[in-house]
Amino acid sequence: MSTFGGDSWAREAQNRKRRVDDLMLSTSSSGDASSPSFKKLSSGKYACLVCSHNPILDTPLMLSIHNKGSRHIAAQSRVREKELVKQDELHKRTALSADACSLSSSSSSTLQAKHSGHHDKPLTQKTVKVILEAQSNVENPDVASTIHNSKTRSALCDPKFIPTNVIREPSGNVSLQSSMSNEKKLLMAGTADQKMLVDWHSELRKRQEKELKFTAAGWKRDCHGKWYKDENVEFDSDEEDPNITLR
Amino acid sequence: MYLYSLTLQRPGGVVCATNGNFVGGKTQEIVVARGKTLDLLRPDESGKLQTVLSVEVFGAIRSLAQFRLTGSQKDYVVVGSDSGRLVILEYSRERNIFHKVHQETFGKSGCRRIVPGQFLAVDPKGRAVMAAACEKQKLVYVLNRDAAARLTISSPLEAHKTHTITYSVIGVDCGFDNPVFAAIELDYSEADLDPTGQAAADAQKHLTFYELDLGLNHVSRKWSEPVDNGANLLVTVPGGGDGPSGVLVCAENFVIYKNQGHPDVRAVIPRRADLPAERGVLVVSAATHRQKSMFFFLLQTEYGDIFKVTLEHEGDRVSELKIKYFDTIPVTSSMCVLKTGFLFAASEFGNHALYQFQAIGEAEDVEASSATLMETEEGFQPVFFQPRGLKNLVRIDQVQSLMPIMDMKVLNLFEEETPQVFTLCGRGPRSSLRILRPGLAINEMAVSQLPGTPSAVWTVKKNVTDEFDAYIVVSFANATLVLSIGETIEEVSDSGFLDTTPSLSVSLLGDDSLMQVHPNGIRHIREDGRINEWKTPGKKTIVKVGSNRLQVVIALSGGELIYFEMDMTGQLMEVEKHEMPGDVACLDIAPVPEGRQRSRFLAVGSYDNTIRILSLDPDDCMQILSVQSVSSPPESLLLLEVQASTGGEDGADHPASVFLNAGLQNGVLFRTVVDMVTGQLSDTRSRFLGLRAPKLFSAIVRGRQAMLCLSSRPWLGYIHQGHFLLTPLSYETLEYAASFSSDQCAEGVVAVAGEALRIFTIERLGETFNETVVPLRYTPRKFVLQPKRKNLIIIESDQGAFTAEEREAARKECLEAAGMGENGSANNGDQMENGDGDDEEKEDALSDEQYGYPKAESEKWASCIRVLDPRTGNTTCLLELQDNEAAFSVCTVNFHDKEYGTLLAVGTAKGLQFWPKKSVAAGFIHIYRFVEEGKSLELLHKTQVEGVPLALCQFQGRLLAGIGPILRLYDLGKKRLLRKCENKLFPNTIVSIHTYRDRIYVSDIQESFHYCKYRRDENQLYIFADDSVPRWLTASHHIDFDTMAGADKFGNVYFVRLPQDVSDEIEEDPTGGKIKWEQGKLNGAPNKVEEIVQFHVGDVVTCLQKSSLIPGGGECVIYGTVMGSVGALLPFNSREDVDFFSHLEMHMRQEHPPLCGRDHMAFRSAYFPVKDVIDGDLCEQFPTLPPDLQRKISDELDRTPGEILKKLEDVRNRII
Repeated sequence: MSTFGGDSWAREAQNRKRRVDDLMLSTSSSGDASSPSFKKLSSGKYACLVCSHNPILDTPLMLSIHNKGSRHIAAQSRVREKELVKQDELHKRTALSADACSLSSSSSSTLQAKHSGHHDKPLTQKTVKVILEAQSNVENPDVASTIHNSKTRSALCDPKFIPTNVIREPSGNVSLQSSMSNEKKLLMAGTADQKMLVDWHSELRKRQEKELKFTAAGWKRDCHGKWYKDENVEFDSDEEDPNITLR
Repeated sequence: MYLYSLTLQRPGGVVCATNGNFVGGKTQEIVVARGKTLDLLRPDESGKLQTVLSVEVFGAIRSLAQFRLTGSQKDYVVVGSDSGRLVILEYSRERNIFHKVHQETFGKSGCRRIVPGQFLAVDPKGRAVMAAACEKQKLVYVLNRDAAARLTISSPLEAHKTHTITYSVIGVDCGFDNPVFAAIELDYSEADLDPTGQAAADAQKHLTFYELDLGLNHVSRKWSEPVDNGANLLVTVPGGGDGPSGVLVCAENFVIYKNQGHPDVRAVIPRRADLPAERGVLVVSAATHRQKSMFFFLLQTEYGDIFKVTLEHEGDRVSELKIKYFDTIPVTSSMCVLKTGFLFAASEFGNHALYQFQAIGEAEDVEASSATLMETEEGFQPVFFQPRGLKNLVRIDQVQSLMPIMDMKVLNLFEEETPQVFTLCGRGPRSSLRILRPGLAINEMAVSQLPGTPSAVWTVKKNVTDEFDAYIVVSFANATLVLSIGETIEEVSDSGFLDTTPSLSVSLLGDDSLMQVHPNGIRHIREDGRINEWKTPGKKTIVKVGSNRLQVVIALSGGELIYFEMDMTGQLMEVEKHEMPGDVACLDIAPVPEGRQRSRFLAVGSYDNTIRILSLDPDDCMQILSVQSVSSPPESLLLLEVQASTGGEDGADHPASVFLNAGLQNGVLFRTVVDMVTGQLSDTRSRFLGLRAPKLFSAIVRGRQAMLCLSSRPWLGYIHQGHFLLTPLSYETLEYAASFSSDQCAEGVVAVAGEALRIFTIERLGETFNETVVPLRYTPRKFVLQPKRKNLIIIESDQGAFTAEEREAARKECLEAAGMGENGSANNGDQMENGDGDDEEKEDALSDEQYGYPKAESEKWASCIRVLDPRTGNTTCLLELQDNEAAFSVCTVNFHDKEYGTLLAVGTAKGLQFWPKKSVAAGFIHIYRFVEEGKSLELLHKTQVEGVPLALCQFQGRLLAGIGPILRLYDLGKKRLLRKCENKLFPNTIVSIHTYRDRIYVSDIQESFHYCKYRRDENQLYIFADDSVPRWLTASHHIDFDTMAGADKFGNVYFVRLPQDVSDEIEEDPTGGKIKWEQGKLNGAPNKVEEIVQFHVGDVVTCLQKSSLIPGGGECVIYGTVMGSVGALLPFNSREDVDFFSHLEMHMRQEHPPLCGRDHMAFRSAYFPVKDVIDGDLCEQFPTLPPDLQRKISDELDRTPGEILKKLEDVRNRII
């Protein structure tokens, strides 16, 4: 275009530059496209989402200059740190609650599977996927697959006995896993910490199950995490006190 | 889902009955209405009641009356139903049907207050009939006959009176004067207008006479007079020269004779000595016996006592009315005195009975009379009596009735081929557990052990004219045993039969000679003792034989057939030989047809899976006429000839035809029609009978040819009311059988099984189930199965009854008092004059079943919990509840991580009262432990609750209880149940709870189903879906995860299903729909279930169960009803079937409208439009249609009538 001369080359060059800026901006702004660090407002201006006071910048150029500023960089690292912590926590939690909730979710998902399979249950599917991912991240793939197997096995069990299953199945898994990891220990060293992790998981799961049992038995928790009896529920004289049992 | 509804067992209860001469001739018949079926019963010569005809009318029959036109020989039946029409029926003997003579429409359909149908009254001379409603309307139809002696009916004449309630209507006998009808009426117009209630308290019943003026063709209120406010029933007194005319008014405690212009004659009804003072005595049913010279009435009270009422009269002046104790039988809904000296008592609940009169109460007994009536300041002096054993009546037959079915379970506890149906039936002292098995009942007459294992058995007569069989011949592996039938059955050796060889066939040949076929030849024993022997050629042996009276065909090894015929001299002559391609598996010759020389057809089955029909005619002897290939080698063949008959013993007619039946080795019975002329086979049907190849034998049932099929269980194929039925027998596996006839047993069967010879008769033909009865103490409410030991736990409770101990104590006291009282009041002539010892003896003989329990105050309850071993019928534990408690719900429960294992929870109420207002002193949940291997119960503890726990159910190791409107979750504590969680949001009263996985399905008494969930982490029960239709549930059953089946008290069965997307959403939602639940929708749950099936059964369904009644059959929903019927709803599994049956149903609706005048579609949609259910009962009326109509319908469906019958049979065979 401009090579043909004419009056309009400057504007075109400007447009081209803006386009390049835009592209540069979108690629350079942050690694993942899912959470951009800025937002393009309807007025054509840009708002930085990283900095806490959300400064509004008129042009991409100004935004890129702002992005190079020390305050922005500091804010960015803070955000990244926060995110990482959150991610870690999420992984941890899903991995920990994996079996307890995988059972309940799998029991419900098998019900659905009876009707129409997993395909149109995005939430269930997602949960299952996350759990699986988390587990395969944490443990080696063999163990993950055994968990998976045991999960399908438990799903085949009569769902009438869910509560007892919930108590027994995971511990069964644990023994299975621990025995497997025992073998592994013989074969290769350095899996001890893994076993500890598994133990820790099962411990947590057991505790969670116990807590659930107490809530089902009519105990409630106040805001300090202390257990108290629901006044509408009756208790046996020698009922276990979760405040003592779950110390 | 499309369902096929079929009634398996017709209702047993009787709503009303009338007797008369409906067939014509001298016989007496009874017409009974069983809710929606109309039956014609007849006592046969032996005094057994036979059902001649049973028709489903698709409407509710509310009243029946019988009348006869003057000079006619035959009675007509008038039917009052919910159709808004008056129907007059005539029984047609030729076609064995009720023929609709007239059908007069007068109002809307349905049981309504002011639409007539509830009461019917006929003029005793058959000139007019009155149809009355409960309120306001009365219509009178004039009956007459035209020149061709046909019955005519006039347009209705109105005798309405507004604001009037009618209690009873009858026709007054006034000879040939104008017809008069009498009614007990109550005018409530003033009571309606008076807000103070004074007028309502003062309301007075009147006896009103309505006169039909035949000259003016007009009905007028002729006479009205106040009667006792307790009046409930009117009885016609014969008039017109036979008696004084007028009516008997049955009121509480009194019977009053009334007539226009005649003073009242009043007598008190005697009371049972042990009756509480607060209770009155009401007459519930009445029957009149009339002869030329005398008449009397039998009135039955609500306690079952029958009184004979006689009138002393001169002309039409009545001087004395006497009420004399007659006998006590179970309370009836209707009594019929037959002219032949029988009394048919249609019981209110339980089995009906036929009694024969021994005497007519002439002997001395307690009597109340109008002449000795004494009035004191407290009222009239009562007369007391003690019930005693039957004196005037003797019971000669019973008609089974399951009414009412309180609870039912289909289980295979005995590990038989088919499951058993366990039903709780009856009420009060007549209640029972009945174990129903599909099949006919057997009466075993004799079982005797034989020396060795027999292989076959035959019976033979000595002469064709003999009535009874002479010998039973039993064949063993290498010998033959001959037994002669006489006073006893003993072995004989002078019969001429060869006893050192096994036999293949033994039969009567010609008129008086016997034939024995053994592997090496034929032995022909002439009447004079000469013996002709035919030997097989060479080394060949006889393998199979077929014979009738004149023809014998034998099959030799290798496949050669030799045909013998009897000649003029009585000699057996070889006629023809024929070589078959291979060995013969079986063969049979049809019996010689009446008036013919020989039978034309020989059927031969070969191992190459074919059956051939060969001709035996001299012209084309041994020519193959037709070949039929079958799925498996045939094991046994039987040609069954059905003779043409019109109006035979059972009144049915069918054309003559020959059926070829073949039992195949894969256990299938194959049945096909043989063309009488060409021998072509057509219309084949097959049915799987059992795991063994069926062996077929001919037998005689009710004088007709029938077929016995012995597979893994025996079956009988016979003709009943014009239909061919193939029904299993409830008997063990048999090897070989033959019909048996002796003077002790006219139509029996002799059979061999194992090492025993068995002789039995087949009973109660036409029934679907046979029953084993275990009597119970009180009205059974519910039962559960103890899962481990397979015992049944039954809860029983009765209102207004004494507990067993109280009864025992009272009886002792009463006995003592009776002795005392008798001495003290010896001067009273009306008292019993029996000696003390005699009295005591009879007292002991009184069974509660017949006399009922002594009545207690209405707030008293008696109740018990019973552990019953169903195999032996023994009660292993019976806990009588004390302290006015009554059990209402029961379930077994396993509490999680508690040491006791399975426990029993029973919900009880103390001091429950329904009137004037429902109230309860306390409710309890008892927890019992099973001890002594589940044979006995031990109370662990009992927990008081605030209402009646009507529903209990195990859920996740805890106990769910429905207490009034509260759903509560209990855990087991040391001393009591611990309330853990509850939901108080149910609308009325919870009547049943089902659980499946984590869902809870709660049935509300008025508001249909509620689907709930329990959340452990919140410890909360919440309702996520409910029904939008208020249903008054009487029964419910869980079908699948989203579907429930329910039945309401208006007689509907329906299925509801949670829509798939909603169900998925709830299962997927991590809150389990909780957020939505908090929002709610229109005061209800956020989601609504959808109705997917709806059907009006026309009878209150009390129990539902999903089960399969035949091995390998499809699952269907089985239901039991208050009237004692058992039905099934079978889901269709192909679209074609649905199309076919819905078209057939449509045509049947059009071509064969129901008998009582109710539109079929309207009946099945009485409360809600029928949805996706095809009425099998209507479809099964197809065979009763005249042949041209059958052909018309089948043409419309592009099929033949035979194909339609086959389809109907097939679908029935899928259910039972």
